[in-house]
Amino acid sequence: MSSESDSQSPARPTEAVSLSVNGEERSATVEPRLKLSDFLREECGQRGVRVGCEHGVCGACTVLVDGEAVKSCLRYAVQVDGCDVTTVEGLTEEGDLHPIQEAFHQEHALQCGFCTSGFVLATKELLDREPDPDRETIEKGLADNICRCTGYQNIYDAVDRAAADLADAPNEDRPGGATDPGAGGGGDN
Amino acid sequence: MSGAGTTPDVATGEEAEADGESFVGTGMERVEDHRILTGEAEFVHDLGPADAVHMALVRSVHPHARIVDVDVSRAEDHPECELVLTGEDVQADYQPMPCGLPGFEEWSLAVDKVRYAGEPVVAVFATDRYVAEDLVDRVHVEYEQLDPVVDALEAREDETIVHEDVGTNVPDEETLEFGAVDDAFADADNVIEREYSWGRISGVPLETAGVLARYDTDTDAFDIDCNIQLHTLVDDTVYETLGYPPEKVNLEVPADVGGSFGTKIAIHRYCALASMASQQLDGTPVKFVEDRVENLQGGDMHSSDREYRVRLAYDDDGTIRGLDTWFVDDFGAFPRYPVNQALKPLSVVTNAYDIEAVRYDYELVMTNKTSQTAYRGFGVPAHIHAVEMVVDEAAADLGLDREDVRRVNLIQPDQMPYRLPTHNIYDSGDYPAALDRIEEIVDERERREGGLLDPAVVEKRREAGKYRGVSHTVHIEPGVSGSDWTDRQRTDDETLAARTREDVAELPEHFRIALADDGTVEASIATDTSGQGHQTLVSQLLADGLEVLPSDVEVGYLDSVEAPTEYGTAASRMAVMLSGATAGAAETLRENCRRLAAEAAFDCDAGAVTYRDGGVEHAETGDRLELAELAALDADRTDSLTRVSYDYDHPATQVPDFDEALTSKYPVYPTAAFAANAPIVEVDTRTGEVEILKFYTLRDCGTMLNPTIVEGQAHGGLAQGIGAALMEEFQYDEEGQPQAITMFDYLLPSTKNVPEIEMEHTETPSPFTETGAKGTGEGGMIDGPAAIASSINAALEEFDVVADQIPMTPHRVRSRLRDAERERED
Repeated sequence: MSSESDSQSPARPTEAVSLSVNGEERSATVEPRLKLSDFLREECGQRGVRVGCEHGVCGACTVLVDGEAVKSCLRYAVQVDGCDVTTVEGLTEEGDLHPIQEAFHQEHALQCGFCTSGFVLATKELLDREPDPDRETIEKGLADNICRCTGYQNIYDAVDRAAADLADAPNEDRPGGATDPGAGGGGDN
Repeated sequence: MSGAGTTPDVATGEEAEADGESFVGTGMERVEDHRILTGEAEFVHDLGPADAVHMALVRSVHPHARIVDVDVSRAEDHPECELVLTGEDVQADYQPMPCGLPGFEEWSLAVDKVRYAGEPVVAVFATDRYVAEDLVDRVHVEYEQLDPVVDALEAREDETIVHEDVGTNVPDEETLEFGAVDDAFADADNVIEREYSWGRISGVPLETAGVLARYDTDTDAFDIDCNIQLHTLVDDTVYETLGYPPEKVNLEVPADVGGSFGTKIAIHRYCALASMASQQLDGTPVKFVEDRVENLQGGDMHSSDREYRVRLAYDDDGTIRGLDTWFVDDFGAFPRYPVNQALKPLSVVTNAYDIEAVRYDYELVMTNKTSQTAYRGFGVPAHIHAVEMVVDEAAADLGLDREDVRRVNLIQPDQMPYRLPTHNIYDSGDYPAALDRIEEIVDERERREGGLLDPAVVEKRREAGKYRGVSHTVHIEPGVSGSDWTDRQRTDDETLAARTREDVAELPEHFRIALADDGTVEASIATDTSGQGHQTLVSQLLADGLEVLPSDVEVGYLDSVEAPTEYGTAASRMAVMLSGATAGAAETLRENCRRLAAEAAFDCDAGAVTYRDGGVEHAETGDRLELAELAALDADRTDSLTRVSYDYDHPATQVPDFDEALTSKYPVYPTAAFAANAPIVEVDTRTGEVEILKFYTLRDCGTMLNPTIVEGQAHGGLAQGIGAALMEEFQYDEEGQPQAITMFDYLLPSTKNVPEIEMEHTETPSPFTETGAKGTGEGGMIDGPAAIASSINAALEEFDVVADQIPMTPHRVRSRLRDAERERED
């Protein structure tokens, strides 16, 4: 503990990162300790990524990394170099709600809305993997996300409705749309 | 006024039937959803100009210690350090934070002594949040540890005093008697005395506290964006701390707050510290976002933590003669606003039972733990649990069915409005019918072949050690608190005795509407919101009141300087208060529009003008003016007629029967929503785990303004009730160290814990409110825990195990079963 070095500007290490965020290529030089959640919110302006606990329990910061639901507070930005990241902003198309978002609205599956981005993306991953999930599969698929307002039942109903709506209108070309099995992540397990 | 637009994309009535149809009473889709679902909603965490400085806090690692020395030099030496504040700095320039009881002095940063692990000691500021947290590690605080005061019951006798200058760890206690209590206990056939315990449980909203403060050097005033709850009522906790008058300290709460449940009324420390720093930094904006560990450990947001001793006097037929409750509430290090939480149970003191003699006795105790804040139910859930447990135990003592004992004692519909011995009044409801119905539902659906309570299934599960049970209980949710009560409670007995009805100063609900140039309606609410859908509700109410489409109504919020002092979102107030305020404001605007047309366009008597379909018409000529035309006519007038402000009086002030309570210390909650619950539980006697298989509930909150929102509130409230009943608790070890400082330790219900909820509604309008609504924000959290505990009692009846401690964790269930087994063997 040298007090001499204290007054010097601590040279903070940096590292380059390039990734795709909602289909847009991004390159930045960041501190290795910068969390993905903070990177997406502060550097990429994706404020729909909500930060609720920063220790991987609540799931509010859930995003898709190469189609896989990931708690972005548990990853560093530099760890997703070269990856394809989808946040809730990436689901809408020209202001139109994605069927999952629309289903959450219709079923009153949100109240304060702080957990909603995470639930919507967890649902996206779930339905990409299991297009017609039963209740138990939904419960399991959303067990990593906490909602403090709704009590979950309306969220289950929203997932059911979204599954039905997506089945009716398959393969629509949307940003962050149905994951191509070839794109890897969350496909076959 | 914060911009809080409704969004056109979301269906808000364009396709709804317009003419003549009512929007109130429909499950109209929420106008808040679109911005939230797309990520566009701006929560306070999202605010922050690029030049904002970030605050981080050095917090005490000890529960009780004297501060010997604070060395901040290494932090200040850091090139990116902008500012450091210590308790002494705060003391030199600012004021202590207001406390809930006189005689206490709490500073935003600890001075001389720390009183709980997690108490902020030093604030550090840097241009980057990560660096600010680096600075925390560079502050060295030297402590001299003191004995911690941890156990609330022992604290009452402890030689160690948390606040030496107060001189006692019990700064507030009172015994209140209603009716002939001693006679009731002397005359009754039976008396039992039992002990119950309610753990330290709180709201834990997913969004933590946040603030962005700016000091304006030109005006010497503060602008504070924050997610505080009750921003026009508790703004005194910020402006008094800063030492400024209210008009110089403006609190603005965004349209979207990520949940509060009462807890965020107590985030004033953060608001004040960020404001002080902005002032010290000549107006640089200062931001703070509490992290989750801070929030759980020392975020001033724990709530009721009680030990009860309850006596019940009852006759052999089950008739209850008297109720005597005593409790100790562990308030933690400072007595804050929730002092009132100790007294709110008086408003529902006998729950749904007709009991004439009641003694209510409490002691508030100071310990070395985080201070309490408000939480959904505001002190009532613990009381309801204690009452329902002792009723179960009386039934067991008599060998009667618990439902039969309840039925004998329920308040009858012909007793409505029913006056409690504590002077509050239940407005309306048929409790016996509710109990009958919930029993009928469970019998029909579950006590049949293949049902959850099919006797064959129940027996088979028992062979595997899994005991199923259900209890049917009725609960009251007291609604629409008043601000005057807060003042009454803090008034000394002599002044109280001289108090008359004229002294009652109850805050009304303030509300504004204005016609925009295009004829749309701009509404302004004076209270903040945290997910309840108030914008939707106001759109519905005004659409009906002004005969326009909900999409023509835009609802924003007034900041604390613009708005008069209000009570805000407490005790399920908003359905009642907003419906009263919107009705009054709409009526005033309609009258004004008629007068405006008569004077400025039709040149006739206002009586010849009618208001219809969002416009006015001349009764004889049929000439019509739309709202946009009225706005244009009004534009040049000095006495605007299309800008209306309205104050809706608190309903209790309109009902003379409340006068007695209003002139004394007793709480007034003029609406009584109610629920009959029947959670079916299965207790694994080998592991102690309690699973709720299905939760049946029958709910009545009077007139339902938006049934979708009503159901949402019930679902969410019950989820919190389930969490409280089975898993949530801020525990401390014997040294006073908090044991639940992450979400791995403070367990919130997830999809794995919340069962299917089968809900039915009845609508018994309140005779005391504008629309008959009663409010429904707190229900499930009030009635869930007691209902689940009673069902656990039913499941474990043959072991004589009682769910006497909340939460009933697997460990606690097992230890009670072990005790029961041991007793049997003896």
